[in-house]
Amino acid sequence: MFVTQYIKDVFGAIKSLGIGMRRTLWYFVRPKEIITQQYPDNKDTLVLAERFRGEVVMPHDENNEHACTGCTACELACPNGSIKIVTKFDITPEGKRKKAIDQFVYRLDMCTMCNMCVVACPSDAIIMANDFEHSVYDRTKLTKILNKPGSKVRDGIE
Amino acid sequence: MTAHQIIFYCLAALILITGLLSVTCPKVFRSAIFLLFSLIGIAGLYFWMEAEFIAAVQISVYVGGIVVIIIFSIFLTEQAGKETRSIHPVRTVFAVLAALLGMILTYLTVLNYDFVESNEAFDLNIPRIGNAMVATGEGGFSLPFEVVSILLLAAMIGCIVVAMRSSITKPDEKKLTQSITEIDEA
Amino acid sequence: MWSLENITKSVDSWLNLQFSPTIAFLIEAVIIMVLVIGLFAFLGLVLVFMERKVSSFMQIRLGPNRVGPMGIFQTAADTLKLIVKEGFTPNNVDKFLFNLAPFIVMVVAMVVLAPFAFSKGFQIWDVNVGIFFITAVSSLGVIGILTAGWSSNNKYSLLGAMRSGAQIVSYELSAGLTILVIVMLTGSLRISDIINAQADGWWIFKGHIPAIIAFVIYIIAATAETNRAPFDMAEAESELTAGFHTEYSGMKFALFFLAEYANVFIVCAIGATLFLGGWMPLHFGENNWFNSIMDYIPGIVWFFGKTFFLIFVIMWFRWTFPRLRIDQLLNLEWKYLLPISLFNLLLATVIAIAGWHF
Repeated sequence: MFVTQYIKDVFGAIKSLGIGMRRTLWYFVRPKEIITQQYPDNKDTLVLAERFRGEVVMPHDENNEHACTGCTACELACPNGSIKIVTKFDITPEGKRKKAIDQFVYRLDMCTMCNMCVVACPSDAIIMANDFEHSVYDRTKLTKILNKPGSKVRDGIE
Repeated sequence: MTAHQIIFYCLAALILITGLLSVTCPKVFRSAIFLLFSLIGIAGLYFWMEAEFIAAVQISVYVGGIVVIIIFSIFLTEQAGKETRSIHPVRTVFAVLAALLGMILTYLTVLNYDFVESNEAFDLNIPRIGNAMVATGEGGFSLPFEVVSILLLAAMIGCIVVAMRSSITKPDEKKLTQSITEIDEA
Repeated sequence: MWSLENITKSVDSWLNLQFSPTIAFLIEAVIIMVLVIGLFAFLGLVLVFMERKVSSFMQIRLGPNRVGPMGIFQTAADTLKLIVKEGFTPNNVDKFLFNLAPFIVMVVAMVVLAPFAFSKGFQIWDVNVGIFFITAVSSLGVIGILTAGWSSNNKYSLLGAMRSGAQIVSYELSAGLTILVIVMLTGSLRISDIINAQADGWWIFKGHIPAIIAFVIYIIAATAETNRAPFDMAEAESELTAGFHTEYSGMKFALFFLAEYANVFIVCAIGATLFLGGWMPLHFGENNWFNSIMDYIPGIVWFFGKTFFLIFVIMWFRWTFPRLRIDQLLNLEWKYLLPISLFNLLLATVIAIAGWHF
C-alpha cells in the first residue's frame, strides 16, 4: 500500500543515514585511526608497504655478485624501452666464451613501475625497491646502471 | 528637525529615488534590484512606524517572494543582459499621462478621506493579529483572506495548464484535452 | 552575580546620563556594529578552522597542522592572503551588480542577527515579531546569490544561482513550518518569550513527538538553506566549478565565504533558540537542586555551546553524505519534508490545544 511504503521509505532513509553518520562519528572520536603520514618529519620511521614499487634494482651479494645472465628477457618485456642491456663475452677458465652483462642500463625517467621486467626475469636478478625519493636536478641522473662496477654473475646461474 | 523626521525623509528619498531608477533604468535586471531597494524602503517605513508585523510581512512577501520571482522570470527571458529598446515617443506620452492620472486619482482619494491623527501605539499583540486573521466579524480578515486564496488557486491552475500544454501537445492531442478537462474538474 | 545584563544596563544608563538620548542611541548603535563585525570575524576564523578539522578527522586525515600549534592560525593566514589578493572584476560583467552582490549577502546575514538573544538581557532588538523577522530577512540572502550569478556573465554562475534560488525558496517552506510548531507551542513570536517558555525544560523535551520531528526537519532544511553539502547544488564543484561565486576573487570572494559560515551560525542559533532553549540552562521542572547547579553556568556559554553543537551536527552531515541530484533534492522537499512537516504542524496543533505537552 502506498502509505505504508511511504512510511517505510522515511524510516529506512533515517536508518541508513544513521548508519553513515555512526561510521563517521566512529572515526571522529578515534584520532588514532588517522592514516596521514607527515612525510618529511617522519622520514626516519617511515615504513612503506612491501608491495610498493619505487624503482628497479639489482641486488648484489657480499661478493659483489648478481644473478643477471644477460638474457635480455626484461628488455624484451619492457613496454616502453626503459631497459637496455649491453652484453660482453667473458672467457671462462676452460677457455670458452661466455655471454655476460657489461652494463644494465635502466632509465627511471621512462619507467612506469609496471613490474613486467621483474616477472619476466628467469633468475630473479632484478626486484622492485621501495625507494621513492627520485628528485634530481638533472634528468641524465635518472639513467642508471644497475650492475655495480666489477661485479660478475653468481656461479651456478645459467 | 528631530532624528525621527530625518529618518523618515531618508527612507522616503530611498523609496522615491530607487523607484524612479527602477522604471527608468535601461537594463531590466538592474530595474529589479532597484525595485528591491524600493520595497525594502517601504518595509523600513513600516519599521519606522513601529508596525513590525506588517514590516516583516512586507519583507517576506514582497521582497523575499515577489522580487525573487521577478528575477527568476528575468532569467528566463532571452535578452536580460541587453538594454531595452527605446520606446516610441507617443507611447511615452501616454505612459506619462496614465501615471499622472493614477497619481491624481490616488491623491483625490487621500484628500477625500478624513485622516484622524492619533498618538496611540499599535496594538501588536501576536494572538490578536492571529485572531483577526480568522475572525469573520468586524475587523476580521477572513473574507479577504479567502478571496485572495481563490485568486491564488486560479493562478496555480493556470500555471499547471500552461506548463502541461507545452509537454503534451506533440505526442497525443487527445490526451491533452483529457488532462485539461481533468484539471478543470479538479 | 556577574551577568551580561548588568553590563548592558549600566552602559546604557551611563551613556544616557552623559549625552542626550539621540547621541546615546547613536553611540550604542556604533558599539553594536563593532560587536557584530567582531562576532563575524571571529565566526569566520573559528568556523572555517572547525570545518577543516572536523572534516579531516572524519576522513581519517590530520587537517591543517602547520601554521601554529595544531594549525590554529591557518585561517588567520588564509584571511590575510585573501585581503592582499587583487579584487578582480572580469570584462563584460555588470560591474554595479557584480560589486553589490557580496554586500547584499553579507548585510542580510548581519541584519538577521538583530533579534537573537545571546544571553539574558544581551539582545540587540527584542522585537515582538522576532522569529518572523528572522525568517523574513534571511529569505533576502537568495537575492544576493541570484545577483552574483547573473551579473558574473558566466553560464556556470547563472546555473548555480538558478539552482540555489530554487533550492532556498523550496526549503524555506519546511523550515518555516517547523518554526511554526514551536511558535504554536509558545504562543508568541518574540524571542525572549520563546526562551522564557523553556525555563522548565527545553521544547525538544517538553514538546516530545512533534518537537523532535520538527527538529530533524529543521536541521535538514537549514542545511539546504545554507547551500551546504549534501545540498550544495549551488556550488557543485565537480560540475559548476564554484557556482555563483566562480568569478569572484579576493575580498569579495571572502565576503561570500564569510556569509556562508555566518549563515550556518545563524540557522544553528535559530535551532538552538527554538528547540534547545537558547541561553536557558538545562532545567527539568521548577526550583530543584539540579536547576540551581545548572544556573551557575552563564547563559552565553549555554547559547554558544548549543549553537556550536548544532554546527557540529551540520558539519557531520556535510562530511558523511554524498551530494543529491537536483531532482532528488526537490523530491525530498516536496514529496517528503513538506507533507511530513504539514502533518507535524497538525499534530502540534492538537497537542498544543489539548495541552498534552509538558
